[in-house]
Amino acid sequence: MKFRDRYRFVRANMKKNKTRVIMTVLAATIGCAFLIVLASIGFGIHKTAIKDITNGRLMTEIEVHGEKPFTLEEIQKLDDLKNTKTVTRKQIIENNLTYHLNKYESHAETMVADLPAEKKAGFELSKGRMPIHKNEIVVGYDFAKGLIKPVPDEDTKNLSEQEMQNKMKDSQYKGNLLGKTVQLEIQQLEGKRMVKKNFPLTIVGIGKKPSKQWMMNESVFISEGQLKDIERFTKTPRGIMNSPENKNLKMDYNVYNDVKVYTHTADEVEGVSKKIEKWGYSTYSPQNELKQINVIFLIIKIGLITVGTVAVLIASIGIFNTMTMAVTERAQDIGIMKAIGAHPGVIKKIFLMESSFIGVMGALIGTAIAYLFSFGVNLILPVLIEQFFHEKPPENFYFSYIPVTLPLICIAICFGVTLISGLRPAVRATQVDVLKALRRDI
Amino acid sequence: MIEVKGLSHEFRIGKKGKEKVVPVLHQVNLHVKQGEIAAIVGKSGSGKSTLLNLISGYIKPLAGTVTINDIDVTSFNEGKWADFRLNHLGFIFQSFQLISSMTAFENVELPLILKGMNEKERQKQTQEMLEIVGLSEYGGHYPGELSGGQQQRVSIARALIVNPPIILADEPTGSLDSDNEKELLAFIQKLNKDRGITFLIITHDQEVAQIAHRTIEITDGYVMEGEKIYEVQG
Repeated sequence: MKFRDRYRFVRANMKKNKTRVIMTVLAATIGCAFLIVLASIGFGIHKTAIKDITNGRLMTEIEVHGEKPFTLEEIQKLDDLKNTKTVTRKQIIENNLTYHLNKYESHAETMVADLPAEKKAGFELSKGRMPIHKNEIVVGYDFAKGLIKPVPDEDTKNLSEQEMQNKMKDSQYKGNLLGKTVQLEIQQLEGKRMVKKNFPLTIVGIGKKPSKQWMMNESVFISEGQLKDIERFTKTPRGIMNSPENKNLKMDYNVYNDVKVYTHTADEVEGVSKKIEKWGYSTYSPQNELKQINVIFLIIKIGLITVGTVAVLIASIGIFNTMTMAVTERAQDIGIMKAIGAHPGVIKKIFLMESSFIGVMGALIGTAIAYLFSFGVNLILPVLIEQFFHEKPPENFYFSYIPVTLPLICIAICFGVTLISGLRPAVRATQVDVLKALRRDI
Repeated sequence: MIEVKGLSHEFRIGKKGKEKVVPVLHQVNLHVKQGEIAAIVGKSGSGKSTLLNLISGYIKPLAGTVTINDIDVTSFNEGKWADFRLNHLGFIFQSFQLISSMTAFENVELPLILKGMNEKERQKQTQEMLEIVGLSEYGGHYPGELSGGQQQRVSIARALIVNPPIILADEPTGSLDSDNEKELLAFIQKLNKDRGITFLIITHDQEVAQIAHRTIEITDGYVMEGEKIYEVQG
């Protein structure tokens, strides 16, 4: 008997008792939708956690921390490691510095970085070029937002929060920065006297916009030569101020912080991290954190799928009942078919096909419902949280997420479970006694 | 064509452990030649239907062998029996045994579907067969919408569709009126003459026995082969 004919048989048989079949499909649908929805919560929260970890970060990045700041030799050693693409390092200016542009002021974080290495690590410019000369600088995309015209206190006294925000916005620098010369004011205490010096710097490049709207990059990259000038003025490394609170600071020159190692691929992160750790440094990488999180969520997801499978198992009891009744009702037809030469295997296949058809139909409809639910809940839940709890859910928060694999897993589970539940009735169908079946209507 | 040797059977009746053994057939020997119409006659409970069921493979004998077309079918399993029935035997039942949810056309087509024939070819053959039995207009009718005679013709068409060399009939006229009975018997004779089909018919109807070339009487499970009424055709 051909597959197409078996399919026709199954369809005709299912039409004989539509209500019962519909109810059984409904049970399978609910079971399957429950399984997907339940698991989708695990997948959704996992996705949110991953997004939170990887937000704007490179998966090939390894942060390296030591007991002391890094020397150039140590950085070179890291750079020479196998699978290392590049190593970035920074020297952050530790001074109460101020940038001046006309009447605008900014206290942006200022640092010296190995710009070619930064470029290799993924740093990009939105405008301009990389610095060539000592007095040239590159500023972050949001540097202009930090350049603010100071507002006298009496002007803001009686303003509401909204008015205050508007005033602050109005006082931000709006013009073009590229090619502009800003004055970097560095301070140092000489005894009890505060001494200030301005360093003119020309903005030649502006960094790329951060990947997330809420991320701000106001920092400034100055050249190593410029740092030397600052250190000559302050007579301290990295412009450290001679204040009493800095008394215990180690005054080492040419040491680096914020050291990051980049690998070529995310798979190499683990190996490189292990080597670095062997040298006594501690490392942190989004990749490692991700690995731990993935293990935890894998266990959660397996648990949720297992609980969801119980619902499918309950639905399979319905399929078992439906198929058992179908066999009893069709015993005479089965007997006639056997009497004229139907192979028991053919009869078994027809009933198995019918039960799996019910299961797969339930799984497909259940998947569609689960997708609708997932879409709806992701749409409505943030609104409800805002409405009733007056809290804003995190950006890109997924309460429910259905990856392609989930419906496939569910359909496979549903198919398997219904096949097993249909097996016993199918075997019973093959055991129908021809003579008993034929005598039924006499 | 059909050779039965030393066939014995008994039924066990009643609850398990307290079963009563009822012997039905005793050392039955029988030979049906090719192209013959053989009628097995006997009273109710004489064992004639059991004999046909044993020959059809619906029940397994306690002792003895059944050989059809020189093939010993006694040791066949269910699967082998299914294939054998589909390819070598046609069946006509007293109560027609048509599937009520299928049309006359679908009932006749069923053996070809089981054989795995392609749709176009089997539909052509089914239509031709319905024409042979004079039911080409009734293909779309369900068994419940047909008369007893028409249903039996559908049943014959279903038996003939696979072109079997042997047709086993269990009281084929049992549910028919006299006009339909005569029509059916004439048709059986025609099939026997034109196609050389061997018929083994179980009956207690004298009219049916009269068209047989040979009648075999069963009394209390013993075969008493009767006198030859007609010579075997051809």
